[in-house]
Amino acid sequence: MIGMDGIVLAYRNIKERKTRSLLTFLGIAVGIAAIISLIAVGYGMQYAITEELVSFADTISVMPGKLIPGLGYVELGAFTERDIEDVRRISGVKDVTPLMYKMVEVEYRGERMPVQVMGADPCDLEEWYEEYVVFQEGRWIRERDYKGCMIGYNVAHEYFKNDIGLNDRITINESEFVVVGILEKASMVASSDLDPTIFLTTKSAQDVLGTDEVSMMMVKIRDIDRAEEIAEDIEEKIDENHNLEGFTEAMSMSSMMEQIGTVFMIIQVVLVGIASIALVVGCIGIMNTMLMSVMERTHEIGIMKAIGATNRNIMFLFLVEAGMISLIGGILGCILGTIVAKAICTIASAYMGMDMPAIVTPTVAIGSILVAILVGVVSGLYPARKAAMMSPIEAVRYE
Amino acid sequence: MSTMIRTVELTKTYRMGEIEVPVLRSVNLEINKGDFVAIQGPSGSGKSTLLNMIGCLDHPTSGTVFIDGTDTSTLNDDGQAKIRREKIGFIFQQFNLIHTLSALENVAFPMMFTGVAREKRIERAKELLGTLGLLERARHKPSELSGGEQQRVAIARALANNPPVILGDEPTGNLDTKSGKVMMDFLEKLNDKGETLIIVTHDPEIAARAHRIITMRDGILRDEK
Repeated sequence: MIGMDGIVLAYRNIKERKTRSLLTFLGIAVGIAAIISLIAVGYGMQYAITEELVSFADTISVMPGKLIPGLGYVELGAFTERDIEDVRRISGVKDVTPLMYKMVEVEYRGERMPVQVMGADPCDLEEWYEEYVVFQEGRWIRERDYKGCMIGYNVAHEYFKNDIGLNDRITINESEFVVVGILEKASMVASSDLDPTIFLTTKSAQDVLGTDEVSMMMVKIRDIDRAEEIAEDIEEKIDENHNLEGFTEAMSMSSMMEQIGTVFMIIQVVLVGIASIALVVGCIGIMNTMLMSVMERTHEIGIMKAIGATNRNIMFLFLVEAGMISLIGGILGCILGTIVAKAICTIASAYMGMDMPAIVTPTVAIGSILVAILVGVVSGLYPARKAAMMSPIEAVRYE
Repeated sequence: MSTMIRTVELTKTYRMGEIEVPVLRSVNLEINKGDFVAIQGPSGSGKSTLLNMIGCLDHPTSGTVFIDGTDTSTLNDDGQAKIRREKIGFIFQQFNLIHTLSALENVAFPMMFTGVAREKRIERAKELLGTLGLLERARHKPSELSGGEQQRVAIARALANNPPVILGDEPTGNLDTKSGKVMMDFLEKLNDKGETLIIVTHDPEIAARAHRIITMRDGILRDEK
């Protein structure tokens, strides 16, 4: 009945008190902006990570141990030649790359430090990490580099007092190696693999580590849709070989992505929960503004009642005003939140060397504006009711 | 002539802390359709309270007010609001216009609550302002109008929903003599067309124009002329 007029009136009243209205908008806008930017950055981060993981979608990593949530990885042993052969024979498996790694003592210019050494087939290595590796200097190790090694960024620049340069000699477990390649700092996803590691060929790793135990297998499969099934086959087969239930952990990238998704979901829920506090503060702002408005307009409310407004008419007018304030606040918050998210993502992308976009989906934008309106109307309920319940004679006499 | 307003044993008592102050004491009054009644009396005699009861702005402590046959004591807030917008037009001493709205919007405002379409409201408001000679002031805010102009806007607003009764609480109290006279002339013309007028006033000249004068003293109807 008085819908459109209510909006016009609310607009007039908001305009009438510019400064106060602006501050109230800001109260809501900050809350909404906090929520929007956190969600946008969260989505962006998730997108960036899954984007990098997609190239590994046809991969299952197999480890002789257990991933225990909260504790990390507990190694239960190592794989044997027989395990590798058995995995190769499982249907759907395209290729198996055995990797060995171990923490050993490394010496450079008289300084000794424990460093992770990884042994792998150089061709496999190149195939796996091609997309992630950027060389600072030098090249990939090759099969005939028996005494050559490739080192990650941290090994070259952070572990030892002196930076290690190309063609420098380092001593791994008492045997000398020449550095043939030094890597740039890796992007977030690959950084834990590449930055702290010295890469050797399988042959020299076996010699220098004094063992041929395989500490991990990377398995390529033919059909991504069957990843879960093949991972289960692998676990079953190796567990049988070692006669130990739960010895093997075979994890497909899709299940890893799922896990990452869950983790992000939890982080986002927590962050949005925290950001909601800002919104609650905004609510109090609206309630305060509306209460003041009701007080100031007591006389006006009296006049409206004297000329025939019902309690419901008055309530409606004040609720529309509260809703309008929060709608404008919500729109401002959306814009502000998007700008903040873009800024955060630009800085974060530059720091982490990955493409992390700020993602504001229409659902999130519209949803947050709806939340803003809801919040405004709820905060306006009490003041509006107060206005509606005023006695007409007392209100009209009020000066 | 049929009865427009009837009060039966109308009583109002205000409570000030522990003390009860009677403002109206068993007032029995009948006002016919098309009558022009002036209510006189000293300050605190209860004349404004009586007017507010008739206008459904205040609830009686006991007794009833019948407006055009409806017993208003049985009505809830919504029912009383309906009486106010359909049967009553109020004119106050302080004009009581809404200061954020223009003259035109003030006049159109009561029609919003009766559900008149926007264009119709504007049309009627313009017509009323025209009758009162204020058409060229339609876009002005109340603060840009003189007292006489504001009171004429208030009259136009009171007439917006075509109520059968106009209640005036010292409507000329804040006007100069000339503006007051213009206003009373207009109200008298309305009365000639059948509008029921009830005016609370101190001014004997205005009272002299009424068909009937009621004097209030200490909450009681004292004498009638």
